[in-house]
Amino acid sequence: MEEKAISVTGLKKGFDGNEILKGIDFDLEKGENLVVLGKSGVGKSVLIKCIVKLIEPDDGDIEVLGTDIRSLHKDDELNEYRRKVGFLFQGGALYDAMTVEENMRFPLERLPNKPDNDEIEKRIEEALENVGLEDTRKKMPAELSGGMNKRIALARTLILQPQIMLYDEPTTGLDPATSKEISHLILEMQDKYKMSSVIITHDMKCAEITANRMKVIKDGVFAFEGSYDDLSSKDDPWLKNFFE
Amino acid sequence: MKITESLPDSLQKFLINIAGIGRYSALFFRQIFRGPLEIREIINQSYKLGYQSLFLVTTTGFIIGMVMTLQTKPTLEQFGAESWLPAMVSISIIREIGPVLTALVCAGKVGSGIGAELGSMKVTEQIDAMTVSGANSFNYLVVSRVIATSLMVPVLVFYADAVSLIGSYVGVNLEGDVSVQLFYHQSLGALVFSDIVPAVAKTFFFGFAIGIIGCYEGVNASKGTTGVGNAANRAVVISSMFIFVIDLMAVQLTQLFI
Repeated sequence: MEEKAISVTGLKKGFDGNEILKGIDFDLEKGENLVVLGKSGVGKSVLIKCIVKLIEPDDGDIEVLGTDIRSLHKDDELNEYRRKVGFLFQGGALYDAMTVEENMRFPLERLPNKPDNDEIEKRIEEALENVGLEDTRKKMPAELSGGMNKRIALARTLILQPQIMLYDEPTTGLDPATSKEISHLILEMQDKYKMSSVIITHDMKCAEITANRMKVIKDGVFAFEGSYDDLSSKDDPWLKNFFE
Repeated sequence: MKITESLPDSLQKFLINIAGIGRYSALFFRQIFRGPLEIREIINQSYKLGYQSLFLVTTTGFIIGMVMTLQTKPTLEQFGAESWLPAMVSISIIREIGPVLTALVCAGKVGSGIGAELGSMKVTEQIDAMTVSGANSFNYLVVSRVIATSLMVPVLVFYADAVSLIGSYVGVNLEGDVSVQLFYHQSLGALVFSDIVPAVAKTFFFGFAIGIIGCYEGVNASKGTTGVGNAANRAVVISSMFIFVIDLMAVQLTQLFI
């Protein structure tokens, strides 16, 4: 049986006695783009933060690329694991005290086998070329637009060549045109680097462009699953709200 | 019922804060020994924290030296002990006022700056971004800043002491005529080993407290802009309080051992 990119079983997480995720199960196949849909506050971001161990789940199993992530405790093991799983934050999370180039350099210079300077330069150039922003090297994040910010953040994440990408609402706060560009960029990068992705969104255009498969969270569990066309043609009134 | 549950909420929060700062200090020392240190970031932070505080430290140091001299002079004149003025001022400045005042100025400027900077990094998920990129965010953000404050506060105190003595010299000469040589001969000649060593030693602890508290409050800021403001505020209040506690302990230890 082929190894799954991600396998989550019975994941539960609550805050202050309020259970948000009540038993999440899903598998992500290698090379697949899974879109997770749900209303605000249902725990979509919590789910992917559990996968990168930014949040500890209360219960359940998470296996990523064949590794049970509960067994990862030492800093070195965790760091090595996290380099295989890229995470694009909702706001981009660029380091605002650093230039774009320094942002790109940061993760590379902290690799255990740090590449030489030529290799770092090459990878920065390639990453910026991928997102079409080669001329922003010396700019500070505050000088960039929202869309450029997201692109650079994506480039910074991809520079470590992760095998899995987790996107936390990649198009939130962007105008429809930029949002569409980012969605196509996600698809392009996934195709180029053969990654598997989980995309958290409530932007239906983004879901339509990027999803191979979609899952919808309702009341702390996955209530619906299928392709974009499957879900959009369902009669469920609650689900229809997303597509209207 | 646990004892802690019977305490008022504010006291519980305060104790949790203190315990958190203790845990952070332990993590800091563990990281120092594990290495590797972010040398470039330590230099960068030392420059930022030290150089950017220079104007404030110069101004406060000069004024304090001058004011102390002008306030003390009339009293000493009544006893005909004017010649004791340089010695008295220098001992007060070097033993107590220079270190404590400079540390408080740094707590206000540097501590709040660290709290606000890390707080805003926390709420905009920049710290999480560092963590998920496989970098050691504690090493980069906390260890480098704490080392920088621990090294730079003593340097700033030394500088502030020197500026205060210049202020004192100016104060003496506003209504008199004392030569530079005589003033410094009297003021520095009055200092002994037990005045200088404890005063220097405690400044490292002041710097450490300012750094570790600023970092702890910043990294643990709650969401939103209010959270960042509160983190900066708590960084100043708690580190100022720690400065007085460390000072008290230093005085007690000095009396015991020296």
